[in-house]
Amino acid sequence: MESLHPRIRLLWIARGALAAVVLAVALVVLDQWRLTVPTVAIGVVVALALVLVVAYAVRLYQVWRFELQDDALYLERGVVTFVETAVPFVRVQHVDTQFGPIERVLGLSSVVVYTAGSRNADVRIPGLTPDRARSLQETLRELAVESEAEDAV
Amino acid sequence: MLALQRGVTGFSMPFFFVMISASVVDFVAIDWIFWLAPIGFVAGAGYGIAYYYRFGYAVTADTVDVSSGVFSRRSREIPYRRIQNVDVSQGLLQRVLGVAVVSIETAGGGDTEATLHFVSEDEAERIRSEIRRLTASTAASTADPDADRPESADESTSPSDPTRRDRPEDGATPTQLFELEVEELLLYALSSFRWGAAVFPLVLVVFLTGSDSGTGLVPAFVIDAARPFGGPATLEGVAIGPLLVVIAVSLVQWSVFTYVSSAIYTVANYYGFRLGRAGEDFVYERGLVQRYSGSIPVEKVQSVSVTENPVQRLVGYAGLWVETAGYGPDSGSSNQSAVPLAGTDRVYRFAENLTGVETPEFRSPPRLARRRYLVRYSIVAAVIVAAAVGLTQVSTFERWYLTAVVFVAVPPAAHLKYVNMGYFVGDDHLVIRSGFWNRRTTVIPYYRIQTISTRRSIFQRRLELASLTVDTASSRTFAWGTPTIYDIDLETAREIHGTGRERLQSALRERARTDDLDLSVDFT
Repeated sequence: MESLHPRIRLLWIARGALAAVVLAVALVVLDQWRLTVPTVAIGVVVALALVLVVAYAVRLYQVWRFELQDDALYLERGVVTFVETAVPFVRVQHVDTQFGPIERVLGLSSVVVYTAGSRNADVRIPGLTPDRARSLQETLRELAVESEAEDAV
Repeated sequence: MLALQRGVTGFSMPFFFVMISASVVDFVAIDWIFWLAPIGFVAGAGYGIAYYYRFGYAVTADTVDVSSGVFSRRSREIPYRRIQNVDVSQGLLQRVLGVAVVSIETAGGGDTEATLHFVSEDEAERIRSEIRRLTASTAASTADPDADRPESADESTSPSDPTRRDRPEDGATPTQLFELEVEELLLYALSSFRWGAAVFPLVLVVFLTGSDSGTGLVPAFVIDAARPFGGPATLEGVAIGPLLVVIAVSLVQWSVFTYVSSAIYTVANYYGFRLGRAGEDFVYERGLVQRYSGSIPVEKVQSVSVTENPVQRLVGYAGLWVETAGYGPDSGSSNQSAVPLAGTDRVYRFAENLTGVETPEFRSPPRLARRRYLVRYSIVAAVIVAAAVGLTQVSTFERWYLTAVVFVAVPPAAHLKYVNMGYFVGDDHLVIRSGFWNRRTTVIPYYRIQTISTRRSIFQRRLELASLTVDTASSRTFAWGTPTIYDIDLETAREIHGTGRERLQSALRERARTDDLDLSVDFT
C-alpha cells in the first residue's frame, strides 16, 4: 500500500483554512449587518474550525492509501465515511494528471482516473510528486491497454 | 445521396420555428405582439431555413455523420459500435405532417449525441433499420441469437398475434414480445404517482389566476373550497386554526390534481405500448398524442430492474426496466421501460429469462441494520417535534406534544425499510433489492461492473457494518442512485467485493473466448 506525499496535508490545511476565513468573514458581516455577534465568539468558532481542519487533514493523510493490484487499482480513503474502491484496469477509460495553483506551489500533482461509470466517475489520487504522478499515469495506461475489453460500454 | 436526404429532412422546419417563436412572443405585453410577432416570425423562419440548409447527415458504412450549426458549425461522426439506442418521437402536429425526430444516443457526454429534426416517417424508419442492420454487421461475431433458446410457450401476448409464429431471422419485422393491455395501462396509470406531475396544478393555477381577477398570492378558489370545512372567509388577520384548515384542504386538492394529472400523463405516454425484438435489438413503441418509438441493442443493456410500489405489490403487479448508458426520452436518463406493468410473476420471469440469472434467494442484512433505521427515524421524528416546539414560540400554536404521534410511525417504518432490503450473489449476477415506496430489484451482471466500493460511515464502523456500491455505466444512476447493498456485515461486504472483482475478470475472459452475450432478447 502506498501513501500520499506528506505535503498533501499542507494543501488540505490550506484549503480548510480558506473555508475558515470565509466563515470568519461571513460572521463579521453578520455582526455588522444584523445582530451583534461577540468578537470572542467569532474568534472561538474560527479557531475551532481551524483545529478541526488540521485534525481532519492529518487523519485523512493517515487513512489515504492506494495500491496497484493485479487486476485493479485499489484505493482506501475517507475520514467520516471510509471508502474502499476497486477500479478494474479494464474499466479505465482515460487517465489525467492535474495540478492546481496550490498544488503547484507545493510541488504536488494528482492523477485522475476516469471510468464509464456514472457516479464516482473520476477517481482522484491527490498528493503525488509530479514524477510519481507521471509514472503512475503511464503504468495505468499500459495496464488499461493490456487488459482492454472488446466492448467497453 | 446527402443532397437527397437533405431534401427529405424537415421541409417543415421553418414552419415549426415559426410556431415556437410565435408562442414565445405571446408572453410579452399585449401591444408588443403586433410588431414583435412578425419580427419573431421572420427571425424564427429565417433561422429555421438557415438551420435546414446548413444541416446534413449521412449514414455511411461505419459511422453516422451529422453536420449542423448556423453560426458555429459542428460535424460529428458516430461509430455504430458506440450507438446505445436510437429513439424516434413524434408530436401531434408532427404526426399530422408525417415527420419525426430521430435521436441517436451514445454513452459519451451528457446529452443526446445526434438529433435529426423532422425527417419524414419513412426516412426515420429507414435510418433506424439501417443503423440496426449496420450495427449488427459491425459487431464482429455475434452469437447466433436463436442457438440455444427454447421456443418458449408464450402466454404473455394475445394468442391471435400472427407475427409470433413466423420469427424473422434478420429482424426486418419485429417479433412482438409484450403488449400493454388496456387494463394494465389503467392500473399503471392509477398505481404510479409521478412527483413531476406536481407542477401541473401549479402551472394551471398560475394560468387561471393570471387571466381572471387577481386575488394576490392566494387564488380565491382555495379559500372557497376550504370554507365548508371551517375555513376563514379571507386570509386577513386569520387565526392559526382556520389557516391550518386552508392549508390542509389545499394540500388535498393539490394531491388530487397531481394524482389525476400524473395518471393522464401516464396514459398519454404509455398508451399502446408494444415491445418487440428485431434481430438482437429491442424495439418499442408507445404514446397516445406524442408517439415514441426506438430500438435498444440488447448487448448495450447494462442492468435490468424490476420496480414495484406498495399499491402495485398489493395487486401483484410490477414493471421491468432495462438500462443502457445512453440518454433516453424519459427524463434525460436511459431508463427504458421494457414492460411498464404486468403480473409480478411474469415480470420476474421476464427478468430471469432476459438476464439468465437464477431465481434469486435473497439474503437480508443483519438485524443490526434495522436498529440503525430505528435510530435514524427516531432522530427525524425528534426533529419534527423540535420544530413544533419552535413553532409554539413564534405563534399561537400550543399543543406541540401532539406531534409526538410521529414516533408511533418510527418502528413500522424502520421495519418496512429493513424487510424490503435484500441481496443475492449469483453465479453471473448480483441482485440488489431495496426501497419500500419504490422497491427496486436490480440485476447487475458482473460483466457490467465499472467500479466497486465498500463504504463505511462512522456510525457503520461502530457497528461493523458496511455498504457495498456497485457502479455500472448505466445512466439511470443519475436519477435512481448507484445500486448499493446497504448495511451488511463488513466481512460479507468484503467477500462480495472480492467476488465481484473476481467474477468480472472471469466473465471478461469467458467473453473473450466465446463472445457470448448472456442477455437474451426473447425474454417472454
